[in-house]
Amino acid sequence: MDTFQRIKKIVLEKIDVQEDRLTPDATLEGLGLDSLDRVELMFSLEEEFKIKIPDREVTIVTIHDVVNVIDKLAEEQHGEV
Amino acid sequence: MKRVAITGMGVISPVGNRTTVFFSNLMTGKSGVRRMTSDFSSQLSVKIAAEADFYPADYFSKKQIGALDRVTLMALAAASQAWEDSGITLAEEEKNRAGVYLGTGMGGSPSLDELFVQLYKKAASRVNPLFVPKIMSNAPASHVSIRYGLSGPCLTFSTACSSSAVAIGESFRQIKSGYCDVMLAGGTECLLTYGSFKSWESLGVLATEDPEDPSASCKPFAKDRSGFVLGEGAALLVLEEMEHAQKRGAKMLGEIIGYGSAADASHIVRPSAAGQARAIRLALDEAQIGPDAIDYINAHGTATAANDLAETQALKEVFGKRAYAIPVSSTKSMHGHLLGAAGAVEFVAAVLAMTNGAVPPTAHLRVPDPDCDLDYVPNRGRTGVDIKTIMSNSFAFGGTNAVLIARAL
Repeated sequence: MDTFQRIKKIVLEKIDVQEDRLTPDATLEGLGLDSLDRVELMFSLEEEFKIKIPDREVTIVTIHDVVNVIDKLAEEQHGEV
Repeated sequence: MKRVAITGMGVISPVGNRTTVFFSNLMTGKSGVRRMTSDFSSQLSVKIAAEADFYPADYFSKKQIGALDRVTLMALAAASQAWEDSGITLAEEEKNRAGVYLGTGMGGSPSLDELFVQLYKKAASRVNPLFVPKIMSNAPASHVSIRYGLSGPCLTFSTACSSSAVAIGESFRQIKSGYCDVMLAGGTECLLTYGSFKSWESLGVLATEDPEDPSASCKPFAKDRSGFVLGEGAALLVLEEMEHAQKRGAKMLGEIIGYGSAADASHIVRPSAAGQARAIRLALDEAQIGPDAIDYINAHGTATAANDLAETQALKEVFGKRAYAIPVSSTKSMHGHLLGAAGAVEFVAAVLAMTNGAVPPTAHLRVPDPDCDLDYVPNRGRTGVDIKTIMSNSFAFGGTNAVLIARAL
């Protein structure tokens, strides 16, 4: 499964949403996630991908942004995706 | 001073998740006590509990289930029943005068247990960021206030087994003294965790399992009583200032007329008949009625050797000879001890007794105790009873005694 599929799977476990709404340009806000939901989602993604998402402001608006951030951090933190 | 009406009720319990089912099960003596379904029960000597057949997916979205502890989910489910039962709607400007008071003994216990597993068993270096808002004891009350937009006072009372009786009594005072017009009041408890059972087991107050019928293990007031069975659940009531309720043609389930709150101030776990009697008298005084006016008492009746004796003595002290003429039952015999939620669930049972003209039994009372010789409505409920005024007792570890009195309208 690629990064995008793995992210979709986690999001589908957490919110009731049709899978076809989880497109790369879907925004987290548009999917109904508030700031607390985002924090919790980031934690789950950290666990899944074995990475640490830094506390500093990371710009994540869309699912595409999530994929990019994870791929980048996975490469930095353990040289693989 | 304002009058306080009860206009809606909701319950999640080991004997039913709707007030109709709840009460009809109590009347038939149906017990929600059973062999536990949890897998850790093999490591316990006490293997029985009063579990609520409550499935959050029936009521909530995945997001809600992920973000809220079971204790909050139960409170919200009970609140939603009570709100619907009352038929109430509030204009924006009325919401400032509507509050939420809930009682809970331990708050988000399931999440706390999960946290400890992650920390001590799995040596996690970081844990789920939602633990704080899930575990904090005020979460249930806050989520109820958020759900209905109630911006009056939102408080959580923690006085062990009398927590939700206190919450109801304090809500009564809020309305009576004119601070609020509407209160959602009650309690919730959900601590059927491994740590909880081990702790309670060690204290020696849990019932030994009845060898013939596990569901009959809790025997209040009986000679062969051996303690209580832990349960989980929630109950919420809509309390409303009387004129506010009348103006909108609300259905009136009853009126709260007295609340007695008094501490034993003697021992951290051993009950005091004197402390209990004091709370009963305070409630009667506020209600401005004498002992003759009470038609049914829902007892604290935990089935411990100490409580049932103390409570019997307290009732005799306050009611004198009249005590023998009042039906007194412990519905804990069927729904178990719901700890922080007990006061509310039992007050709901008592109000339902009033609206149905029926007295639920004390189940499993087959061997009478000569020292507990009142009319505990043994084994069989009674219908066709004229019940105008009820009393509900909650006497807690720590000594906070709370007594509520309500009358029919």
